[in-house]
Amino acid sequence: MKNRMTLFVTLFLTLQSSLILLAPSAYAEIEQTYFCDDKLGDTPIRQGGRVKPLYVHAVDMMKYLTGKKGYENLSAVQTYCLLSLKGMSLKSDIKLAARVDHVEAQEYFDLPEGQKTILFDDLIERIRDLQIETRRIKEETAYKKAMTKLLNQTGLYQEIIQGNNWLLPAVTGNRTDWIPITSFLREDKILEAKANQAQSPFQKVIFDEVERFDKITDAPYHLEYKYAKARLPIIAMMITFLALITLTIFKKFTATLILAGITIALQLALITIRVLISGRAPITNMYETVMFSGFGALFLSMLIGHFKKEKAFIYVGLMFNACTLMMMNFATGMLSDAISPLVPVLRDNFWLSTHVTTIILSYGALALSWIMANTVLIKSSFGKLTKADEVYYSDLIYTILKYGTIMLGAGIILGGVWADYSWGRFWGWDPKKTWSLIAFVIYMAILHGRYTNWIPNSRFIPLVAGAFMSIMMAWFGVNYILASGLHSYGFSEGGAIFLGSFFLAQTLIIIITTLKSNLSKTVVQAHE
Amino acid sequence: MTINTQKIEKTLGGLKFAVILLILFALLMIVGTFCESYYGTDFANRVIYKTWFFMLLQFGMFISIIFAAFLRLPPKKRLYGFYTIHAGLILIGMGSFMTYYAGVDGSIVLPPNSPSREVILSDDIIKMRFENDGRVVTYKLPYTSFGTDIDEEYEDIKLRRYLPFADKKFKWLEAKESYPNTEPIHSTQYFLKNAFVTQDLTLSLHPEAIDFESNATLGPLTVHYLPSSLAKCFAKDNPSKLILWDKQEESCFTPEEKEISIQKTKEGNRFLVYQKENIYFSFFPDMSPWPLDEKMQVIRGGSLRIFSKKLFEDSPNLFLFGTATSWFDKDEGTWNYQNFATGKKEDKTVILPWMGLEVTMLDHKERKVPGLVPTEVLPIQKNNEMIKGQTRALELEVQNKKYWVTNDTPVQLLIDGRKVVFYLEKESLTLPFEFVLTKFKMEKDPGTNRPASYESFVRLFTSEGTQNHHIYMNNPLKHMGFTFYQASYSQDRQGNYISTLSVNVDPGRPFKYAGSLMLVFGSMWHYFLNYRKRKKKNITPLVPGVEDDIQKA
Repeated sequence: MKNRMTLFVTLFLTLQSSLILLAPSAYAEIEQTYFCDDKLGDTPIRQGGRVKPLYVHAVDMMKYLTGKKGYENLSAVQTYCLLSLKGMSLKSDIKLAARVDHVEAQEYFDLPEGQKTILFDDLIERIRDLQIETRRIKEETAYKKAMTKLLNQTGLYQEIIQGNNWLLPAVTGNRTDWIPITSFLREDKILEAKANQAQSPFQKVIFDEVERFDKITDAPYHLEYKYAKARLPIIAMMITFLALITLTIFKKFTATLILAGITIALQLALITIRVLISGRAPITNMYETVMFSGFGALFLSMLIGHFKKEKAFIYVGLMFNACTLMMMNFATGMLSDAISPLVPVLRDNFWLSTHVTTIILSYGALALSWIMANTVLIKSSFGKLTKADEVYYSDLIYTILKYGTIMLGAGIILGGVWADYSWGRFWGWDPKKTWSLIAFVIYMAILHGRYTNWIPNSRFIPLVAGAFMSIMMAWFGVNYILASGLHSYGFSEGGAIFLGSFFLAQTLIIIITTLKSNLSKTVVQAHE
Repeated sequence: MTINTQKIEKTLGGLKFAVILLILFALLMIVGTFCESYYGTDFANRVIYKTWFFMLLQFGMFISIIFAAFLRLPPKKRLYGFYTIHAGLILIGMGSFMTYYAGVDGSIVLPPNSPSREVILSDDIIKMRFENDGRVVTYKLPYTSFGTDIDEEYEDIKLRRYLPFADKKFKWLEAKESYPNTEPIHSTQYFLKNAFVTQDLTLSLHPEAIDFESNATLGPLTVHYLPSSLAKCFAKDNPSKLILWDKQEESCFTPEEKEISIQKTKEGNRFLVYQKENIYFSFFPDMSPWPLDEKMQVIRGGSLRIFSKKLFEDSPNLFLFGTATSWFDKDEGTWNYQNFATGKKEDKTVILPWMGLEVTMLDHKERKVPGLVPTEVLPIQKNNEMIKGQTRALELEVQNKKYWVTNDTPVQLLIDGRKVVFYLEKESLTLPFEFVLTKFKMEKDPGTNRPASYESFVRLFTSEGTQNHHIYMNNPLKHMGFTFYQASYSQDRQGNYISTLSVNVDPGRPFKYAGSLMLVFGSMWHYFLNYRKRKKKNITPLVPGVEDDIQKA
């Protein structure tokens, strides 16, 4: 029963992700594109405090403005380029619309039933009223948040269509100034390019300057372009699913190992490239912690599995890795993959990197215990597990728990060392630290109880499954629910709903399996 | 007796006691994090983390750890890791206590080029400075989360009630002193609004109304609050647009009423001469409100002055006289006057000729004092900033009169002819050396306003001479046991950067570090010593595909 379910879920997810990869965009007819083509994606732009490829910036902007990566038949780069050209009075038929999800906001704009978007051109016309309405709301409500976001989006849209958002390098000697496209494409330059019989004089002007810029810069934006285009997270996710299918359906363990190895290699590449682009440890925002924990958990599970000669570990590692990769690919509202400069206190800090790496690895390890505990719970309720199985698997869980908890403890201490090193305070009761300590205390209580046989296996397993909720609280809850304190990275929408559903699902699993396994226990006792 | 001690030892070192403490500890921390998220860091510290019961709980865990180790003596090899872990925890506990007891954790604010040696700590104190003999008396206020009654007395000064989190709420108060009936001491509350702004405006002439002024500027608009006795002269549309005001008699009149002729000097400046009690006062109304005496000397601060409405026609000026108002309409070229207090509802609001601005009179009091009175609230913190309950307030009682001292407004009182100033502030520590910020450097992320780094260049004045140091993130300055870290910065009104350094003395540090190392390595040692190999026999695979080869065979 469980097997069939796993099969179904895995198949469904694989199908879904491949559909996302292959789905053709609905064609419409924006024909006038001037010189705006995808070749421009690999040119540099300076925005948000760093130099990045236009492709990355355009996709970010489009996602922020419309929630989509393109417009009709146009790519993000084309849309961004055409919008910017409006600032040079080059007309185009693009009508970009913002999403209006908040009900009160929909009412404010008098949107017809079922319509959840509003054209930016309309928003610009009504910007004054919008400002007044936003200022009128004194409390920090969701409505105010929605209206403020619309205001910010409109402001950004205006900046783009005035041609002021697209900044291009202007190289003089060793110096680079960043100037808007409107002043960059000067008539004399274009005419000169035309005289040289360039096919697209506009593009020639841009690419000539980019060539000059490339000679003096070490900003790895070409690498970032290739990285963004390669879409490694999607590929890694598909291979992880493939590995799970190979394991559970085709029962080919060696093939699974090879696929898991490929996943590890891909993720390592992903992490390395991000390090090369950002020039720092890959653990400074939510996206990166999720990415690193999945990778770390899979790696750890293969390592432990090898030494313990237990193949079940690879299944646990793959399952958690699949969870993290799904979050990275689909929960983009909650986890932003954008690379942005760090706040000063998080920069160039050996202790911070060590601390977060250890903590995230411990989350990964504890996630392995969480998956294994849940699998055992479900299997003991809906499948069949003997007393010997129960003892054996709770021993396995205990093993991972030891590693995870020691790492968590070490991570908390390293956090203290970092805080002491950075502002002379070994411990402060800020929510992130406190919640890691809460999780640590909970795991310590479980470990002590189990070590002294105070907690029997039948209780140990659901406890371990439930204890991971404290990790989720420390990891996501502090940012998405408590949202205050020193660790201010990663605040975004949808996180609270995600966590709420997680807590609900986990609690339900524990309740249902407890009810079920109580039945099986009495049967076992009757046998004995 | 011995049996009893053993029993106590067993309980204190037992697992049940430990787990109960751990669960309590976790529960309180959970409550604490939610408190912090709603009510702010300070409140959470005061209500949970720095309370006696939370400390007691930590002490309980300390005891439990000691006894758990003690019960497992004499040493067994299997438990070497266990001893190390528990010894490590004990060391961490001791280190933390030393930090708590003997450590310093504060901050120092360094404005550019002005020496400082004051380190601000976290406790609230009331400081009383007796100006006559320079005596300074301080009293430490309780570290509580809610309003607390204090019963302390110093000479004639009684400390009554301390509010750690309060908001200032508007109230009409009775005057503490008495004033002659003729003296204009009225106050009025208005409400101003247009499409862009709304604002409550309280204006007062009362000498005790320390929280409110008699004029205000709202963007380009200047608001003047004047004695109500002047209103009737503003209502007169006299051609000279001049009003004479006798403050002593609280009366006003126009030159036309008294038939005073207005003449012009050779330069074309208007002037007039007014005779009062056989003294001649000459006024140049378009140049100065003050009169000249017969020797042509300016009489400042006298009771007579003149008011030229002409001077207030160029820019937006709103005159409020309590229950009446007057303003100049540039487009119409006329002075307008309106009485709010006609009893008619539509007269309560006046539409002014500046960007659709409306002014409404809300409340008017002839003798009462408008005041902002601290009222206890639950604080609210948003995005690391307190948005409610930022005020700390202490109620004093001196000679049967009550006063509120807050952290932003010190109170000055005359007690038996002696001047005493009360300050509510944070406890401070004076450094044995002096500090000056010589330069503050901030770098921003390219093309943005976000700081990428901030650095302080400081000069230390010590007994051995001066030293220059460069403090930046992760590069603290250590001097005489103090460690200074770059914490944050702010800007003064001129835009100069003010650097804030956190100041730290932590005698428990080596203990905490040693304990931490023992804890981590002890855990590894423990699991290494207790490693057992389990045999795997006839185990149902967790998922298909992970059966053991041996099993299959």
